[in-house]
Amino acid sequence: MASPVVEILTKGIGELNLRDIDVYRSTGGYVQLERAVKELGQKAVADECTGSNLRGRGGAGFPTGRKWSFLPNNGRPRYIVCNCDEAEPGTFKDHMLLEQTPHQIIEGILIAAYAIGCHHAFIYIRGEFQDGFEIMRDAARQAREAGIIGKGIFGSDYDLEFTIHRGAGAYICGEETGLLNSLEGKRGEPRLKPPFPAIKGLYGEPTVVNNVETLAYLPHILKHGAAWFASVGPERSPGYKVVSISGHVKKPGNYEVPLGITIRQLIDECAGGLRDGRTFLGVQPGGGSSACLFEEHLDLSYDFDTIAKAGSMLGSGAMVVFDDTTDFVKASFALIRFYAHESCGQCTPCREGGSWIEKTLARIIDGRGVPSDIDVMKSACHQITGLNLCALGDSIEPFLGSVLDRFEGQFRAYIERATPVPERVAV
Amino acid sequence: MSATVPATDLVTVTIDGIDLQVPKGTLVVEAAKLIHRDIPVYCYHPKLGPAGLCRICLVEIDGMPKLQIGCNTPVADKMVVRTLSDKANEGRRAVLELLLLNHPLDCPICDKGGECDLQDFAMAYGQGASRMIDAKSSKPKAVDLGPTIVLDEERCILCLRCVRFDDLITHERSLRTDDRGAHAIIATATGHPYRSDFTGNVTELCPVGALTSKTYRFRSRPWDNHRTTTTCMQCSVGCQMHVDGRVQQIARTMSVEEDDAISDGWLCDRGRYNIGYVTDDGRLTSPLYRQNGEWIQIGWDDAIELWANAVRDAIAADGAASVGAIGGGRLLNEEAFLLQHVYRALGVENLDWRAGRMVRAWPGPLPIRGHHAELAAADVVITYGVPPAQTAPVLDLRVRKAVANGATLISIGDHLASAVLPCVRVATFADAVKRIPSGAKHVAIVWDGIEVADAHAIAAWAGALDHATTTFRLYVPGEQPNAFGAEAVGMLPRDGGLDTRGMFEAARDGKLRALALLGVNPVLHFPDRELAIAALRATPFVVVSELFMTETAELATLILPACSAFEKTGTTTDLAGDVLPVSAAVPSPESTLADGDMLVALADLLGIALPAPAALDATIRELAAATPQNPPLPAPDGAPRAIASGETLRVIVEASIFSGGGTLAHDDRLGELRLTPRARMHPASAAAFELEEGDAIDLAGPERVRLDGLTVAFDTHVPEGAVAIVAGVPAAPANALRGAVAVTIAAKRRAAEAGVLA
Repeated sequence: MASPVVEILTKGIGELNLRDIDVYRSTGGYVQLERAVKELGQKAVADECTGSNLRGRGGAGFPTGRKWSFLPNNGRPRYIVCNCDEAEPGTFKDHMLLEQTPHQIIEGILIAAYAIGCHHAFIYIRGEFQDGFEIMRDAARQAREAGIIGKGIFGSDYDLEFTIHRGAGAYICGEETGLLNSLEGKRGEPRLKPPFPAIKGLYGEPTVVNNVETLAYLPHILKHGAAWFASVGPERSPGYKVVSISGHVKKPGNYEVPLGITIRQLIDECAGGLRDGRTFLGVQPGGGSSACLFEEHLDLSYDFDTIAKAGSMLGSGAMVVFDDTTDFVKASFALIRFYAHESCGQCTPCREGGSWIEKTLARIIDGRGVPSDIDVMKSACHQITGLNLCALGDSIEPFLGSVLDRFEGQFRAYIERATPVPERVAV
Repeated sequence: MSATVPATDLVTVTIDGIDLQVPKGTLVVEAAKLIHRDIPVYCYHPKLGPAGLCRICLVEIDGMPKLQIGCNTPVADKMVVRTLSDKANEGRRAVLELLLLNHPLDCPICDKGGECDLQDFAMAYGQGASRMIDAKSSKPKAVDLGPTIVLDEERCILCLRCVRFDDLITHERSLRTDDRGAHAIIATATGHPYRSDFTGNVTELCPVGALTSKTYRFRSRPWDNHRTTTTCMQCSVGCQMHVDGRVQQIARTMSVEEDDAISDGWLCDRGRYNIGYVTDDGRLTSPLYRQNGEWIQIGWDDAIELWANAVRDAIAADGAASVGAIGGGRLLNEEAFLLQHVYRALGVENLDWRAGRMVRAWPGPLPIRGHHAELAAADVVITYGVPPAQTAPVLDLRVRKAVANGATLISIGDHLASAVLPCVRVATFADAVKRIPSGAKHVAIVWDGIEVADAHAIAAWAGALDHATTTFRLYVPGEQPNAFGAEAVGMLPRDGGLDTRGMFEAARDGKLRALALLGVNPVLHFPDRELAIAALRATPFVVVSELFMTETAELATLILPACSAFEKTGTTTDLAGDVLPVSAAVPSPESTLADGDMLVALADLLGIALPAPAALDATIRELAAATPQNPPLPAPDGAPRAIASGETLRVIVEASIFSGGGTLAHDDRLGELRLTPRARMHPASAAAFELEEGDAIDLAGPERVRLDGLTVAFDTHVPEGAVAIVAGVPAAPANALRGAVAVTIAAKRRAAEAGVLA
């Protein structure tokens, strides 16, 4: 069985100490940045990146070049922020990239900053990533000493300041406007959109927020050309992706693959397949916020559009695999509790709905469920979705909704075993 | 609205089948109001803008798959909006069910019951019963948020209107959200009590019963309230105010949301909460006459006769120059007019409204009177002297709005115009003028009316201004609510008459025989307390109309119990010259009379003809509208400001809405708000005098003046080498210093060793 795994971002990980700037440079590191600022010029760099059809690897899958194109030419300072607040349940790719290849991230950030004409770039690192923060801090110091960050990068007339900011431990700060508030020192809660960050972002100025992995691909796109990246995988969803596979597989881990291979390939050929003697029940294709897919979806192409069409999402590219030992009631509860806990509390559906479903599931697991819980939960799932200020509220429902439809029996079993409690009519 | 907007900036939108044209960018919620379609909102407020939190304002827009929030969706041309479609109603039902999941159903004991948006919308769009069978989550109830506000966290729906008001309108940022998700609660940013001059507004903004006023909790139900709309008579801003009365007592006051021109829909806490004095036990309820050193109660007929006889006898004996009257700044326009009318009819010219530090409510013939709303549009705001933040809070909100929109704020002299927004402090008016950015189109000056030299400087500068390129507006917030009106109707001396100081000096020297003081308390407010006391003691007949036995009333011969501003009807004039209605909201206590009625009775006894009511009203409006034809301001005395030496501290006299001896001192429920005597100092100057925070000190000035019993408080905004004292605090009246500019520390007591003089 030929492995679909490739090594682009992940090249050298586990073999070389890529945290050392000299090692990184010996593998061709920072060559593309130097070429960008000294030879290509801003427009060519931007065109190359846009031409690659690279879509955001953080969760929403928005075309990166288009995001940049929204920045107004208003003469105001503009900012780029690298979102390294990776906290989506099941996702651990940025964590690895941060700790293993910090210079690749810096190079990507600097290329993007140059492409959009920004002179102050930020990286927002999840608070829990203590090691990652120290590694990034050391890498940035090395880069600054080497003249890669600061005034006149590579002797050109391009200046770029680079700031590392640590989060304080809130999932919601991975949402781009929550991140910007947190970065400004405010309470980490999403902003009302419009205006979008491209118009009014960090400190009220035009801002681009890109994911770590998205930016890390930029040096490679410059090196090999936009066509190289665009030609891999489906036309509208091309290129490579680091997929974090976890759950009931033999070899959980990060696998870099071309988009467009099947889910089955990812599970069997990358992650070593299910544990012996177990049968497949479902898979979350894109992190905790994605709806569960089932056996009939295993041969779907793993790309943004196909997965979305199947009713789920590729998200951050985190696959969680469930075999026949899974208690979906408890699995749902674990996720719902997470979202209810991480809700910032600003908007009604997310704040109230999350805790309502959490209470209901807790009661079912506690043996005090009532038959009407199933329908009420289904209805509640429906009514908290699509009404929220940000995407967190819409992330509560998909997994529960999908497994409630598919494995309603598991929920009913809990309720039927339940100690009968008088069904109180609340007013 | 289309009349003022070019047709190219209009878009056509269809809301619930009705086509309408609105300016581009109008929000769907606002557009819907034009066809009387009220989209429900909780977090949205026209003055706070969209927040997108509550999600109740969902509407269906053709071509958009999901419901949209009407509060943050601007209309687009040819947009078709459905506010009452099944889908929109279902969205609202869903949001309401969620909002009510953990909301306590204590409507029967909730102050908001009957005027609650949650109740109303639950009736209109809700489903009747909750489907959640788990226990509602519990949160802290009756949280004491500060001196004025109580918070019920369970009732809170986290619309954050209060937090946003405190951020976007006052810029004080004392409130915030604590914790997150379902545990989120409203708290103060510092953990300290919520203190602000504007706290009451959050109770009105609160769409539910989460934020309540301590003065109104459990006192009434909205349907029992009888509403009267009037003008607040606590300062010269002229805020419109609803007075809700219940069984002939004032239950509460509320802002007038539509009052964009004057209050912008807000009230300060002094205006809102200072209502308890109306029913205070200390109210005077009978005319009192001093006989052999004892007060005896007399009837109204006798009282007015005593007054008439005293005036008549004095004129007969020593001429009209031996009679005087002071008052008008706290009276209605009609009353102030009658006061000068009656006295002038007798040939008396010793007439003055000024009983405090102000020299003029309007400095002279400058046609540059600013209106409230114009202040918010200024590019530069200069505060000259005591800033509006200390005397006219709601006007100061306009200053804050201007500064938030990018205006430069400059304060002159010792005072700081704003502790919450960027403010440049300069030494002189000339320095301030230099700081006006080039290209500034709208300059506003807020003057405290105290130093004559200031008015001359402003007039000279305004005279040289190129009015074609720069507009200039002047604001003079008065110490008294109707200072402008009193001055306009003629309560200033003419033809050689004496002003207040002149009258007091004449009285001290035994030259005044009869003095009337209507609604003034010079013993607390006149800059020379000793002179005021000496004058009143030396005058054979002093008649005082008052609500309470004030420092001044105690020295009277005859005291007339007056009606409060909530008990009489007429007009007052705000600082912009608007003549505004004052309406009686509750009946006055038996045996009290409005000052106007006293004057009518006095005129009757003296045989003085009075103008007919309609003619009087026309005269008042004419006088207020005309540029006041006041006597010219005296020239500044030119005396240099004394500078404190190493041994002395310079005195800065400040103002506060929470000082004063009358209505505030007699309001039991506002005890926590009343200022205690404090000496605010820069920590460095305190250190130079070996003072610590909390020490009690006595100050001494030249000529044996003293001010005792002040507590040292540190404040880095106070310039070094100075001590800031708030005027009008009865326990330590700053006017006892008689305008002393430099003082020494006469005595100090350590906070720890109370009672032992060092």
